Parts: sequence; structure tokens; C-alpha cells
Amino acid sequence: MNVLAPLTAGWASAILPEIILCIGGMIVLLWDAFAPRMKALLAPLSLIILIVAANSERFIGGGTFFGGTYEISPITRVFDITFFLAAMLTTLFARDFLDREGIESGEFYALLLWGTVGMMMMAKGLDLLIIILGLEMLSMCIFVLVGFARKLPVSNEASVKYFLMGAFATGFVLYGTALFYGATQSTNITVMARYFATSDGSNPLLTIAFVLLMAGFGFKLALAPFHPWAPDVYQGAPTPVSGWLSVAPKAATLIALVRLFTAMTPVLPKVSWMQLVAVLSVLSMLIGNAVAIVQRDLKRMLAYSGIAHVGYMTIAMLTMRDENIAAVAVYTIVYALMNIGAFGVVSLLSKNQNDPQTLDDIAGLGFRRPYYGLALAVCMFSLAGLPPTGGFVSKFYIFKSAIDSGHTTMALLGILASIISVYYYLRVVYFLYMKEPAEGFVVETVGDVFSVGALAISMIGILLIGIYPTPLFNMAGAAARAFLQ
Amino acid sequence: MPLLSTIVWLPVIAAVVLAVFPRSAANAIKGTGLVVSLATFVISLGILPRFTDAPGFQLVELHPWIPQWGINYGLGVDGISLWLVLLTTLLTPVVLLAGWNSIKKHPKEYVISFLIMEAAMIGFFLATDLVLLYVFFELTLIPMYLVIGVWGGANRIYAAIKFFLFTMAGSLLMLLGIIYLGFSYVHQSPVGILSFAITDLYGVSLTPRVASLLFFAFSLAFAIKVPLFPLHTWLPDAHVEAPTGGSIILAGVMLKMGTYGFLRLVMPLFPDASHKYAHLLLTLSVIGIIYGALVAWVQPDMKKLVAYSSVSHLGFCVMGIFALTQTSIEGSILQMVNHGISTGALFLMVGVIYERRHTRLLADYGGLATAMPVYATLFVISMLSSVGLPGLNGFVGEFLILSGTFKTYPVYAVIAATGVILAAIYLLWLIQKVFYGPVTNEENTKVRDIAWNEIAAMVPLIIMMVWIGVYPNTFLKRMSPSVNELISVVKQEKQIHVMVTENGGGTLNREPSPRASGEKVAEGRMRGDASVNQQGGGR
Repeated sequence: MNVLAPLTAGWASAILPEIILCIGGMIVLLWDAFAPRMKALLAPLSLIILIVAANSERFIGGGTFFGGTYEISPITRVFDITFFLAAMLTTLFARDFLDREGIESGEFYALLLWGTVGMMMMAKGLDLLIIILGLEMLSMCIFVLVGFARKLPVSNEASVKYFLMGAFATGFVLYGTALFYGATQSTNITVMARYFATSDGSNPLLTIAFVLLMAGFGFKLALAPFHPWAPDVYQGAPTPVSGWLSVAPKAATLIALVRLFTAMTPVLPKVSWMQLVAVLSVLSMLIGNAVAIVQRDLKRMLAYSGIAHVGYMTIAMLTMRDENIAAVAVYTIVYALMNIGAFGVVSLLSKNQNDPQTLDDIAGLGFRRPYYGLALAVCMFSLAGLPPTGGFVSKFYIFKSAIDSGHTTMALLGILASIISVYYYLRVVYFLYMKEPAEGFVVETVGDVFSVGALAISMIGILLIGIYPTPLFNMAGAAARAFLQ
Repeated sequence: MPLLSTIVWLPVIAAVVLAVFPRSAANAIKGTGLVVSLATFVISLGILPRFTDAPGFQLVELHPWIPQWGINYGLGVDGISLWLVLLTTLLTPVVLLAGWNSIKKHPKEYVISFLIMEAAMIGFFLATDLVLLYVFFELTLIPMYLVIGVWGGANRIYAAIKFFLFTMAGSLLMLLGIIYLGFSYVHQSPVGILSFAITDLYGVSLTPRVASLLFFAFSLAFAIKVPLFPLHTWLPDAHVEAPTGGSIILAGVMLKMGTYGFLRLVMPLFPDASHKYAHLLLTLSVIGIIYGALVAWVQPDMKKLVAYSSVSHLGFCVMGIFALTQTSIEGSILQMVNHGISTGALFLMVGVIYERRHTRLLADYGGLATAMPVYATLFVISMLSSVGLPGLNGFVGEFLILSGTFKTYPVYAVIAATGVILAAIYLLWLIQKVFYGPVTNEENTKVRDIAWNEIAAMVPLIIMMVWIGVYPNTFLKRMSPSVNELISVVKQEKQIHVMVTENGGGTLNREPSPRASGEKVAEGRMRGDASVNQQGGGR
């Protein structure tokens, strides 16, 4: 009997990247156990694993697997790019940070790899149960990663907060799924789509199920009013983890929602579910931007700005046309580059994780450390949506798709919210270039070659997408069209 | 090599190269910046021999940029943008020269900021695609924000953030309008594809309500930039706090981005709304002319005085544009260039004395002409050009605007004409207080006269003042065909639309309401006026 037979079977090759990441995570763990003196090699090792896994995607054909519960299609590949990008950038930034904090160990990288697997499952799951499995796998990794600086009270506090809230959120998602099952006789999204095609949506169970699901997913997205955990958790978590947390789980949740909303499309004109989503989006944009203005801690400010950015992305989710899906996909990739980049600079500057990192810490950085200053400025301009950055084209894409699908008012609200946001992004630039540091204030930032490289990847990516977005748009557009067929 | 792309990208390439220069090589950095900006100016002069006196964009470069959305990288020059581009390329070396000795803090970043700003401004004037135009419009903000915020005066942070937020707020609403226009084009074009090419969008017909909304979205963005009367509050702050070079570029070129936007986009894209709200904009611009002049009169600070005079002078430009006659629009375009040269020169002069005495208050000076004869002469020439003395450039522009406006809106022209008198009052007042009379302050007797680099910066400006003043036809004949074309675009669409509404009104409402018929009468009057203009306007 051929032992390798399962590997050549269709199902095994379908989840080849996931398998590589899972085994890779174990290798990283074992490496740390057997060669504790060679911790410096942990980050390169997990980078290699990520690169191998990302490349293995090329050997997989598309299609559905495991009895129609797992789908691999161009759109999942696009989202996989976000997941891999986020994991790689986080790994690059984490090495230096963990080293300084004295908490570098194999578990960190292993959890990052396994969390990525969870997100890939959420993106590819065609069945609500698979999505929940992925969500749980991801959440477990996040609980530990947030509390990774286990000797620091803030980190532990953040972890407990995230755990309690996250457990509730998962409960909501499960309960919603159960009610959907009751109404549609299936948890499979394909089957549910067939049900919605003929339903008039009048079954009250469906509305309750939808609201519960949105509450649970809203938590993962940090969508207002389910956002209050985000600033505390981002502030307490090790900074590279905050960056990862602010991007990757949101992307995974968005693609899961895209699947669900697409299945619901026939019934949406008859029910007012999307008005609810619109309200969440507007609340997020307003609360996120308004509260970010008064934040002096950089991580908290970025947390609120992240809440606002999810609000922008949700504008595009109101109608499931190919352009809208592509806009969300493009936005998540750009958002990964700019937000992890911004958190990366913050993590480079942190003296001690227990201290808050306020705006005063970056005063005059633009001239003292021109490279870090420029990188943070580029990230800020991109987050503010100014050309020639990727933030501009992706925001343009969101608003364009919103207007094209008839949500002009939402686009207008999004624009007004962006105007508010410009203020606090500019304030960072003000501190970078126009403010003298306080007397006797020294920032001992060295940064290793990994973090410098990660900053370069972020900056070049942001500017490249801003100046020549066509290839990315082509890829996302084609994937979205294929998805809807 | 494509000429227009060269002048847009040469400064950018230079800025990138300068970024890797060592910080200590200040003179090499300034020198490189100056040489590159001079080279850009010389190359931009190359447009002139290739420019034919025909309407429409010339030397066009068109490459797909984001083809999925019909967005192109399109550059082109016509009679409206030609002189503004040359003004930009002229003023940038002037600015770098003027700041040669005065900028001691972070010279590298200073030069890089100005080079990127130059590229963005040239790109804005040359863009033939609305999205590209918007990108360049926004791109000017970042370097200017840094210039004001890093090298500015005491209250620079407030000024820089106010400048940025005002402009950004207006332009984001315009972005929404741009996207909306693109989709309106899709629904009307036979092929059904997106396009943001400005000339394509000229043909889009919109319902009156949408047209009004879009008109206000675009007008707000440009009215803030100009700035028109109630939106001008950022300008005195920004001008006063900005370093000399920043003020020169801000007044000299950036304000013109607003008037250019009105001319290139607002009028031809929304001709009906432009007619409908012409009185609003004319009123605001006339208020701006008088208000700016009166406020300038009472300023104790020289720089603030010149800043408020800009509000007044830009009011003339907007008035000339909305008067919609050949003469007044040509006058406006010429006046944009004039203002750039004269006010640029005035800011330069104020900067020179500030650098020596570290005060800009009129009260601290007096009898300066004896200590600084060369400086006084140059200052007086710039001042006279700004006042509008016949023989210098300001006169030609203001005369054309006023005489053109008089044909369509005589009342506004008459009121605005008092602005010319007021300008003479406050600027002569300035000269008298600073240069003549007894020396009240001992320190003013031993001030060093103007230096070589400052003279070198002033000479080209003085030459241009005289040239435009004596022989404006060099400039006017290049812009005539484009202006003529613009007016016909605006009026043609207007007539088509009136025809449609008249027919529609006839079938839908048998008895037109008194209000509707009143509007029609008003439109008829406007059309009548228009035909008169065309006869009177041709020179």
C-alpha cells in the first residue's frame, strides 16, 4: 500500500498550504525546544515556511472539496495574499521586538502560522461550521499571542479582555448559525443560497439569526458598537501582534461575510438587514474617527483609526457586486501594508512594552531617524487616503463602487468621515517633523535588518499600488467576477 | 522625449536623487535644486515654439493608467494652462534662489519639498484627465504643509493644519463629484465605458438638481483654494506663517489652481449651474475685492497686508471668469500670471527685509530708501505693478477684466473698480511708511542692501512685469483661441439645454408656472447677453 497516496488525493493537495503551515508551526516549536540557543533562526525559519506555503498555492487547482464545504477559487487566493502578507510583515517586525522584550520563543511564530491557517479556513469555508472552526482556531492563537508578554500586567489584562469578549462573540456566531440551520435546513452556504433564492425573508428566525451573526462578526471586525475591546487589547498586546490583529482577522471575517451576503442577495431587497449593516458602518466611521482625535497613545489612536477603516470597507459590503467585492479585497491588501507598517514603526520605537507610546515619543523623529520618520509619514498619508499612496486608490475604489451601486449617501458620509480623520493622521506628521523632542529625551531605536526590510516592503508596496494599481485591480476584479459566477 | 512629461517628472527625479545626498552637503543640495529647476524652466520654454495658436489641448500625451476605470495619464497644454505652467517653472528657481541664505534649518528637505510641489503644480495645470488632475491637486498639499509647518513662523502649526484641512475638506467633496460625473458619462456614452477625460465630460448632460450639487462640490473646492470671500480665513494665517518661499509659491501659483479649476472645470462642466449661480459668485468675488482691500489697508504687518491684497486681486480673476466674455476671461488668465509675478515679488521683498530686521511691522520702519536704495527701487516697481500702473502688467489684466465684465454685469464692474483705487491707497501707504519720511529707528540706517541672490531672483520678475505691461499681446494671442473655444463650449451646451427644457416644459406642463416662466425669461436674457458678448468680445 502506498503511504503517500493521501497526499496525491485531491483533498490533500487542496489544503496543501494549510498542511505546510501546520507542520511548519510544529517544526518551529520543536526547533526552539531542541536548539534553544539558536533562537535567532526562528524568525527566518517561519518566514521560509510562509514563503513555501504561499508558493504551494500555485499547485492547487480550483474547485470545491470535502463534500462542498471547502472552496478554492481566485478570490480565496487574493485574500490568502493578505493573510500571508500580514503574517510575513508581522514576523519581520516581531523578531526585533521580542528580542528586546526578552520573550522570543518558538510558540510566538508557531501561533502566528496556525492563526493564519484559521483565517484561510474562514476564507475558504463554504459551510458556516467550517468558518466557525477557522474562527475558533484563529481566536485561540490570538488569545495567547495577545498575552504573550506574560510578565506584563497590561498584556495579561488585554488577553483576558479579548478572551471574555471573544468567547461571547463566538457564542453569538454559533447561535446565529443554529438559527440559520433551523430556518434553512442547512449550514452549507450553497444550500442556503438556494433557500434564499426562493424565500421572501419573512421568517423572523432569519432576522434574529442575521443580527446574532452580525454581532459576532462585528466583534471580530471591531465594528462599532462592538468595538470597545479594540483600543485596550491593541494597547496591551505586544505591538507586532496589535498590527497583525488589526488587519488579518478583519480580512478573514470580511471574506466570510462576503460569502454570506452573496448567498443572501436575492432576499436582501425584501428585508432591511443591509440597513442594519449600513448603520454599523456609519457608527464605526464616526466613532472611530471622532475618538481617535483625542487619543495621545499611538496604539490606541491606530485602534480607533482601524475601527473607522472597517467602516469604510463595510460601505462596499452593502451590495454584492463584483466591483464591491474587488474593492474590499484591494482595500484589505493595502490596509495590511499601511497599518502593519504603522504598527511596525511604533514597535521599533517602544522602549518598554509596559509604557504607553504617546505622540511625544515620536517628536522630531522625522529628522533624527529620517527612514523611520518617512515610513510612518507614508503610512499616515496612506491611511488618510492621500495620493499618490495605495490608501488613495483603495478608498477611491470603495467610494466608486458605492456610488455605482447607488449608495451615494454612504459615500458622502464616508468622505465626511475621512475629512475628520485627516486631522489626527496629520498630527502624527506634525509630531514627526515639526515638534522638537522634549529636553533630554532619547529614543534608543536600533532596529534589525528584518524590521528595516519590512518597512521597505510596506512603503514600496503602498507607493507602488498608489502609482500603478492596474495589476492589483485586474487580479481582484477577475477574482470577484469569477466568484459571483 | 515627451516634453510635458519631462517637465513634470524632472523635478521629482531630482527630488528622489537629492534624498540620498548627505545632509551636510547643503550647498550641493541647494545648487542641484536650483540647476534642476532652471533646467525645468528652460525645457518648459520649449513648449512655446511647438505651440500653435489653435484651440484644444496640444502636445498631448495619453497613456492608460487605470484602464479598468477609464483613467488615463493624459497631459496636454492649451492657451489657458500655457502661461500658468511657465509661471510655475519660473517661480520655482526664483524661490530656491531667494531662500539660498535664509534657509538654514534642514535645507535638504526644503529643496525636496519645493521640487515635488513644482511637479505637482505643473501636473495639475497640464492634466487632461480629471482623476489625474485631482491627484496632482492633492499632491501639492503635503509639501506645502511641511513647508509651512517646518520652516514657518511662530504660529506655523496652526496655520499649516488649517491650510491642509480647509483644502482637503473641499477637495474630498470634489472627489465624490468626480466619481459621480464619471458614472454619469457611462450612462450617456454610446459605448458605456467609464471616462474621466475632461473633454469627454464636457458633453455630459445632468439634471438641474444634480448639476447644482456637483457645481457646489467643485466650486467649494476651488473657492477655498482661490480663496473666495467667506472661505479665505486660512489664507492670512498660511501666508504670514509660511517662509518667504512658501508664500511666493502659495500666492504665486497655488491660488491660481483655484481660478484655473473654475475656468477649466466648473464653467464648462456645469454651464447651466454656472449661469444660475453666476450672481452668487460674482457677488462673493466683489465682496472679496472690497473686503480684502479694506482689511489690507489697516494691517500693521507688511506680510499680512500683501496677503489680504491677494484676496482682493484674486476676486478680480474670479469676477472676470464668471462674467464670461472673451475680454474678461483673457484678462483673468493674464491677471493670474500678473498676480503671481507681482505678489511673488512683493513677498520676496518683504522676506528680504524681514531676514535683516526680523520684524514686519510697518511701524518699525521709515526712511529705508536712504539705507537701501536698490531694494527700495525694486520694491516700488513691484508695488506699482501690483497697483496697476499703466505700463506695468497689473494694469493690463485689471483693465481687461473690468472692461469685459462691464459688458455683461456693469454694476459689479463699477463696484470692483473701486478696489483698484483702494489697492493704490494701501500699497502707497505701505511704501510711504516703510521707505520715506524720517528715519524713526536707528537700526534702519545700517541695514545691508539687497544681496546678489535676491537681485537675481527679482530681475526676471521685473522683466516680466514690464513685458506684459508694454506688449501683452505676446501672451494674449496665445490664449485667445482656447478662450474662444471655452466660451463656445459653455454657451453651446447652455443652448442645447435650454432647448430641451423648453420642449420638455411644453409637453409636460401645459401652463408653465409663473416661476418657471420667470426663469425662462432670465435665461433668455442671459442668452441675449451672450450673443452681444460674442460680438463685442472679439478683438
